[in-house]
Amino acid sequence: MAEVEETFKRIQAHKGVIGVIVVNSEGIPIRSTLDNSTTVQYAGLISQLAAKARSTVRDIDPGNDLTFLRIRSKKHEIMVAPENEYLLIVIQNPDAV
Amino acid sequence: MFADITLESVTFKSNWKKERSLASSGCQTSELVVEEVACQSVKYKSVKTQTEDDSDKFSGFADDNSGHLAEFLRRVEPAMHKQLEMNVKSHAFDDYEVTWDEGSSTMSSIHKLTNAAHDGQFQITGLSWNSTGAVIAASYGRFDHEDWCTHKTSLCTWNLERRNLDENKPDTVLEVSSCLMCTAFHPSNPALIAGGTYNGVVIVWDLSREDDMVLTSSGIGDDSHREPVSKVIWVPDTSSLKKNKYLLVSVSSDGKMLVWKMDRKTKQIELHDGFVLMNMNLPTQLRKSRTMRGDKEVGVTCISYNNENKDSFIIGSEPGAVFKCSMSANGEQPAGNIISSIQLKSPVTFTYAHHYGPVYSAEFSPFHRNAFLTSSMDQTLRLYSMLQKQPIMTLEPGEGVIYSTKWSFSRPALFAATTDTGLLLLYDLTQNQPVPVYKLEAGGLMGNNARAPVLTCQFNQHQNNLIATGDAMGCIQVFRISDSLKTPLSRDLEILGELVDITTES
Repeated sequence: MAEVEETFKRIQAHKGVIGVIVVNSEGIPIRSTLDNSTTVQYAGLISQLAAKARSTVRDIDPGNDLTFLRIRSKKHEIMVAPENEYLLIVIQNPDAV
Repeated sequence: MFADITLESVTFKSNWKKERSLASSGCQTSELVVEEVACQSVKYKSVKTQTEDDSDKFSGFADDNSGHLAEFLRRVEPAMHKQLEMNVKSHAFDDYEVTWDEGSSTMSSIHKLTNAAHDGQFQITGLSWNSTGAVIAASYGRFDHEDWCTHKTSLCTWNLERRNLDENKPDTVLEVSSCLMCTAFHPSNPALIAGGTYNGVVIVWDLSREDDMVLTSSGIGDDSHREPVSKVIWVPDTSSLKKNKYLLVSVSSDGKMLVWKMDRKTKQIELHDGFVLMNMNLPTQLRKSRTMRGDKEVGVTCISYNNENKDSFIIGSEPGAVFKCSMSANGEQPAGNIISSIQLKSPVTFTYAHHYGPVYSAEFSPFHRNAFLTSSMDQTLRLYSMLQKQPIMTLEPGEGVIYSTKWSFSRPALFAATTDTGLLLLYDLTQNQPVPVYKLEAGGLMGNNARAPVLTCQFNQHQNNLIATGDAMGCIQVFRISDSLKTPLSRDLEILGELVDITTES
């Protein structure tokens, strides 16, 4: 679909963005701008982590829910926007000139 | 006349032998207790395993037919954009560093390796770590020959991972019939090592062989060098389609830069390409008089290849000039006195501001494609950008001649330099002052309380907290540097880039 492609392009065009992945509720990647093996690795690991983060937030306060997850590492930052059916994962290098 | 006579036999009893008494007896082991038991499995189970071809699993992604993807992206996109913007502008994490492992915070010398057999007669002319980072090789020789070299030296290797490492006895000693001036391990094959000798011969050894480890040698002929080989270096072969093919490049005081290719079948090296540096390439200030012949060769002392573009390289020469060259350069050179089967071309494409003495080492940065360092007999260290003639920065540590300089493989802003006064200096470009952050005593103590000059150093590409130095007394020291110096800071590359990149506004 054109709109989906447009959105992907817009996000990818941002400064420092290395890759964008959309994962479904089962943890299987739907769309990605990275190569196969990296995508599969990110999809599996991040969806597990997002699920754990969500359950942590809800355990502490059942009325609360996870809206955004950011993981900052030495080399880059992984941003995860979770939802019921999908998960959007963006990997960015904030120091990229 | 003859008659039959029978004689009686005569016997006599022995008077010392006694009668032996005999008695017979028997023995028998007691009965052996034997038990017999048998067992038999009654139930059978059969199991088979088979690896599944994993690549089929995710060759395609899941198909999404629900049509909600566009809506989801529409909802989520603004939040993501806002976060991406904030990240680029934020200074929140600028000086924030986390160290996970304990690590060491001090610098220490962990090994002191010597070859007792040499007895301090030879100097360390070159050091190289192998492709796995576990073995260090040192070439022995002398820099102060007056005429022919009649020394018998060797190439020694130590495996630092061995438990029974003997610091005074190398694991392998390869005998060479003249001084070795430089050495380089192959970048991917841990058994191949190349070396250049004082006689101009380039030799390649194969350490995996049983007896004669010399794999191939360039010999002494018209095609090889006539003067000491100052540096050998392995370079990826850009023209070959296969990955992992390397060419061996050797440079020498006779001005020639020869490119050797190893024939796969015969395992011999053959001259593939060549360049030569002549007086006419030198900048005018270095040409002593106008009547100096333009077709005399100029000795090349060091060479380094660009980490991104393997076609472009820099060389340093004996008069002090630094040149940018290209493997595909095709400049004409006057014939001069050189006889060679391959046409030797001029490789020079650009000339930089020169040093005031022989350039002892030139090194491209492994992180930035334009930055390179040079060190020279004029006691200075210079940081150049490939795009500009004048150096970006000139450092004068005041410690005598700087014999070698190397970039760190893990931190873009860290480099080391070795001096005549026996020190290993470590510089950090992120610091504001142009002084070394560390001064390590790397040279051995000589008689008159001075330290031996440190002639060469080499960072370990795999264990990034190790650096090895070799001094003029034949002693190699391996230092462990503190963690703050081995882990890169997030702004290292940016700071290096700022120093080196030329902006049009300035």
